Amino acid sequence: MFVLLRHLQRVRREAGLPRRGRAGSLAIRHVDAGSCNACEHELAATAGPHYDLQRFGLDIVASPRHADVLLVTGPVTTRMETALRRAYEAMPEPRLVAALGDCALGCGVLADAAELAPPLEQLLEVDIRIPGCPPSPEQIAAAILNRR
Amino acid sequence: MSRAGGARAAAARQEVDLVAVEPAGWRDACRRALEEGHRFCGAHAAAPPAGQRWNALFARGADTLVLSTEPDGQKLETIVDIAPAADWDEREAHDLYGLDFDGHEPLRPLVAHPKDTARWTVPVEGEGVYDVAVGPVHAGVIESGHFRFHVVGERILLVDPRLFHKHRGLERAAEGRGPAEALAFAQRACGACAVSNSVAYAQACESVLGLLAPRSLRRARTLLLELERLYNHLNDIAAVCAGIGFAGGNMAFAALKERAMRTNAALAGHRFLFGSVEVGASPLDLPAPAAARARAELRELRADAARAWREIRFSASAQARFGGVGVLDRDTAAELGAVGPAARAAGVGIDTRCSSPGLWYGSSFAAAAPAASTGDVAARLELRAVELESTLEILDELLCEPFAPEAAETAAPAAPLGVARVESPRGETVCAVESDSQRLARLRLRTGSYANWPALAQATAGNLLPDFPLINKSFELCYACVDR
Repeated sequence: MFVLLRHLQRVRREAGLPRRGRAGSLAIRHVDAGSCNACEHELAATAGPHYDLQRFGLDIVASPRHADVLLVTGPVTTRMETALRRAYEAMPEPRLVAALGDCALGCGVLADAAELAPPLEQLLEVDIRIPGCPPSPEQIAAAILNRR
Repeated sequence: MSRAGGARAAAARQEVDLVAVEPAGWRDACRRALEEGHRFCGAHAAAPPAGQRWNALFARGADTLVLSTEPDGQKLETIVDIAPAADWDEREAHDLYGLDFDGHEPLRPLVAHPKDTARWTVPVEGEGVYDVAVGPVHAGVIESGHFRFHVVGERILLVDPRLFHKHRGLERAAEGRGPAEALAFAQRACGACAVSNSVAYAQACESVLGLLAPRSLRRARTLLLELERLYNHLNDIAAVCAGIGFAGGNMAFAALKERAMRTNAALAGHRFLFGSVEVGASPLDLPAPAAARARAELRELRADAARAWREIRFSASAQARFGGVGVLDRDTAAELGAVGPAARAAGVGIDTRCSSPGLWYGSSFAAAAPAASTGDVAARLELRAVELESTLEILDELLCEPFAPEAAETAAPAAPLGVARVESPRGETVCAVESDSQRLARLRLRTGSYANWPALAQATAGNLLPDFPLINKSFELCYACVDR
């Protein structure tokens, strides 16, 4: 256990993480609306040891009822449309919607049109746009932080 | 029976034998294939110009046998009783292609999502039995899928997974396009298996086009496949540690995964290696200094991974949580057609890398095995740690030489059907491509995750509900490449 903790200390030192966080916080709820899983990997990495978004008060929360931001990945399949809307409706106001990745932004989507709901921009008002296929953890972190 | 197999060129690729079978002799032909030592590895409906067909794929070593029949109307005899691994394939064909399978009772919907719960769940009744519905949206950063647990108290009697929430119709969208253009659909089926899916697709297309991969092309693809396995296995070990709340192990392996992904970006220009595989060619350009740099980085990573793994291994409290949870026994694994780490951890020693002449695995390559094939979370976790060693060994050997762009050679006549099998981080991925004058008439991607979901559901029965996330993570199956 001590070896692992030492290892982590080294990683944090090498990544040059600041010692103090910023004021304020955002709770994020992620909904996968049909992504290829690459955006999920990169989003999970932002909470990992190299990026550690929690130090900025950004956290991924378990329920939309605890969330300020609905972070959506994927092009929105017909089968995820209802679940996505319900997650949004469950959030307290004020709330933000973030589109993570090119699919959620409706760019270069690879799919059979019959399996897709209208694009996210038509379903909900999008406040934060994070382009990329997938966007890197740095890009995700920067986009969410700069919105504040 | 008529044989229309591809030309038997010097065995530098997996061979495909296509055998037409009369509908009346369908079950017998399938049974005979299994008795001859074949293993069922997928079935798909296709509608070439000649009419609707139903193809079942069987693997033996590096050879693939394709039995093909023409349904009588839309009706066929099921083979689910002799090859239980065909369960999902038949249900999918019913939902997407309207085929009916005589004797497959009840033929529950798989891809289709009827509102009536009774239609798609197994009825479980008794004193104190109730259902817990979970998903499609989950608590963490997880893909979308729905599970219905039938439980008594905290004990799971049975779980009905309902996937395909992310169904994007990728196969259908790819059909009608040229082989090079349709590659993107196979690749983006899954971010974490992008290389495995693309290599399987490229190899299937190459056997349709009559192309053969020279040595350097085989080396480049093997490098990419092992880089993909490296970051996935590191990720999966981290995920299992997270499953028991062991933050030290989770963070150590998450950090190692990040290093592996940065190496990917340095080597192939993309953290997930997107765009690094092409049909009939390899674009990978890696001069000697870059290869040497990556080799040195991976050697450091290897030492750090071994050190971190020792910590997990000798953490008594962590090990106590892994043992005896989510057991998949050997017979069930073999019967349900489990593949990859899940099968090997249960003692079923299959690894498609042993029979991939189109890639660069030496003849000495052997399937890994844990110290004890207990088929539980501990065995699946240990197997990944064991495989990390062989993966890093292969990468170390491959990176001794530089890589340059390379094209495949024309070696054989074109064939109407191509099949390729590739070992992804989650097991054997099978890609079948049917072509109609240079365009795809049918694309089927049956990934390691697809093959393993029924085994995961089986391994869950009898466990505690709060252990499901741990069991799920120990299989670490994708939803994206199952749903397509």
